[in-house]
Amino acid sequence: MAMPAIEVRDLRKKYSTVNALDGVTFTVPEGTFFGCFGPNGAGKSTLLKILTGQVPPTSGEVKVLGLDARDRGIEIRERVGIVPEVESPPSYLTAYEFLYFVAEVRKVDDIEAKIDRWLKFFDLEETKGTLCKDLSKGMRQKVMLSAAFIHEPPLLFLDEPFVNLDPIYQHKLREYLLQLREQGRTIFLCSHILEMAQKLCQEMVIINHGKVIAQGGVAELTAQEDLESLFLRMVGEDVPT
Amino acid sequence: MLREEYRLHISYSSARMFLAIPVFVFIIATIMSLTLSNIQGSIGLKDLVTNLNAGVFLYGLSVGAFGFLGKTYVERRQGKQNFIVAMPALLPMSYCATFLGMFLRDVIFYLALMLLPAFLGLLAGALVVHHSLVSCLVVFVTMVLSFLFGVSLSFAVSVIGSRNRYAFAVLVTAILALLVGYGAFRLYGMETILPSLGFQYCLPPFGSDLGTAMMFLVLTILSFLALTFLAVVFVAESYEGESGRKKGPQPDKLPSYLPRFAFARSYQPLLAKEFVDLLRSGTLGKMTFTFIAPLTFLSFTTWYVNNGLNVPVGFNTVFYAAMVGFFGVMLYSWLTNMDVVDYYETLPVSVPKVIRSKLLVFLFLTLSISTAFVLMISYLNNETRLLWLALPVLFVTSVYMVVSMSYLTGLHPNSFLFSPDVLFKFTLVSLLPDICLTILSFSVDRDPLVTTAAILAVLGFLAVCTYILYRRLDRKWAGTGFN
Repeated sequence: MAMPAIEVRDLRKKYSTVNALDGVTFTVPEGTFFGCFGPNGAGKSTLLKILTGQVPPTSGEVKVLGLDARDRGIEIRERVGIVPEVESPPSYLTAYEFLYFVAEVRKVDDIEAKIDRWLKFFDLEETKGTLCKDLSKGMRQKVMLSAAFIHEPPLLFLDEPFVNLDPIYQHKLREYLLQLREQGRTIFLCSHILEMAQKLCQEMVIINHGKVIAQGGVAELTAQEDLESLFLRMVGEDVPT
Repeated sequence: MLREEYRLHISYSSARMFLAIPVFVFIIATIMSLTLSNIQGSIGLKDLVTNLNAGVFLYGLSVGAFGFLGKTYVERRQGKQNFIVAMPALLPMSYCATFLGMFLRDVIFYLALMLLPAFLGLLAGALVVHHSLVSCLVVFVTMVLSFLFGVSLSFAVSVIGSRNRYAFAVLVTAILALLVGYGAFRLYGMETILPSLGFQYCLPPFGSDLGTAMMFLVLTILSFLALTFLAVVFVAESYEGESGRKKGPQPDKLPSYLPRFAFARSYQPLLAKEFVDLLRSGTLGKMTFTFIAPLTFLSFTTWYVNNGLNVPVGFNTVFYAAMVGFFGVMLYSWLTNMDVVDYYETLPVSVPKVIRSKLLVFLFLTLSISTAFVLMISYLNNETRLLWLALPVLFVTSVYMVVSMSYLTGLHPNSFLFSPDVLFKFTLVSLLPDICLTILSFSVDRDPLVTTAAILAVLGFLAVCTYILYRRLDRKWAGTGFN
């Protein structure tokens, strides 16, 4: 059995009086495309921030690539790629400069070639000299995706990676992620685009009000119904009719 | 809008801490009212009232300066929080109406925050020591008038400044000329500059000319209304501003900047990026202005005290060095306010590391300008013999202040300094050594040996504090996020 890429046990996160995460437990085996779903405010983004060592948990155990996320966040972020919920590259760097900056911080070899690859992949060559603040949302999302992929990490955390991308690049990104899955990379995906997620994910967890309400293999859980129907049924109480 | 402003302020700390501000003002005003007869032993009542209103006027000026910010202010955001003032683009509201709303909100909010508790404190003290309640009311009305005049003047000038830089320069020059006319040449009284003072001076205990007092009252109110009207009329209906202006392709600066910071090892890319940000965002120009303006003001004030008021205070190079060190800390706010830092969350970079990179940039930028200023002052005052002491004072205070600020406020000084507990701590750590060094600097020529030893002792203490706070940056900020 493969070593778990992510291990979460009885994870709790409390903000003042709000329980953002309440006893969350799951494991993501290495080489798995793992989906994390839930309605708005369910605790997905908090979970992602804890997993990447940006926010400490209130209690519980979190290990990513064998590293404790509570105190080894920097090492975790060295090894993983992250696409945040909001695309926010630095305003006053150009797309090219931001990728150069990321590559320098991450001590990537052969920087120029790797930047060129991603500029080509996302068709950013013509806008590579434009300041990030002047790029469209979709372009900024492409820049953030490139920054997450540039060091070819073994584990990716993707929070709504398809948002702001047009259908062409949604398709292109999906194909690339499938390639990564074939290569045995681990991917942790948060998304509301359930149709896309069903095609990509092998295992999943559904969170609502900070608690895990369903988890397991996507094939098993969606044997009787598609992911969207399953999701609506699981969180149905909170979905306005 | 008022509710948003209140919620914003309590979000910096807590409702209790925020409400401590008016309580604190009330207590200070009560103490001042109770000890007024003692205070009058050192400063005359008229000078006291004049200085009080000058302070309130400056307070008003600082409140009303938001017109400068144009769309940046309208779209003001704190992290991911939006405000109702960001709505004109989405709702059928004009920018004029929105700015007028913001202006009235600030007038009410800051009157209630400071002036009202000050008045109540004055009144509470007056009831105990039997000061005239009518006089208290007159003082309060004068303060309100001074505040309104300041806030409307600042609002009008800043709005016009945001439309036309030349008009702004003309207006500021005219205001400065008015100040010089009074300060340097006594061509007219202070009430010509601040008509609210005319109202106060014509009423007891300074005068008993009710008719002229009413004239000044009406004049101040009309000035307030006229300036506000002018500002609202000049508010641009469609702000593009810096944030709305798109630039064409830019030459790649970052890769060429990197080799210059090779000495900084793991900080190399962060420093290179900070300098690219500084140049492209226009912050370098704003920082230079922010640094030079108070230095010019300081030089003018000391000159005015010595020559305008004929008070022989020994402002020497050591004094200026200490002041420059304390002023410089404002630049740290600019460095942390250039851009969002959310993207650092995706990188193997910690908050303390980014703080340290900003501290390094601060040192690169300020020490050269500060040193040049102190060298110039020492040369102009024929005090180059004091440089051996002044320069260490400058370097130690500069580093101490910026490290204290970064320790207390991290990457968000503009937010945290609104928190009363942080503001209190910062005031404490900055004011005490500042007062010590200022007082000691006055005795450098009188008792050089003892004074120098005392100044070096203060510097040693500040250096130790700096070291401790710098080492504790990690413990304080490592567990926090960038947003």
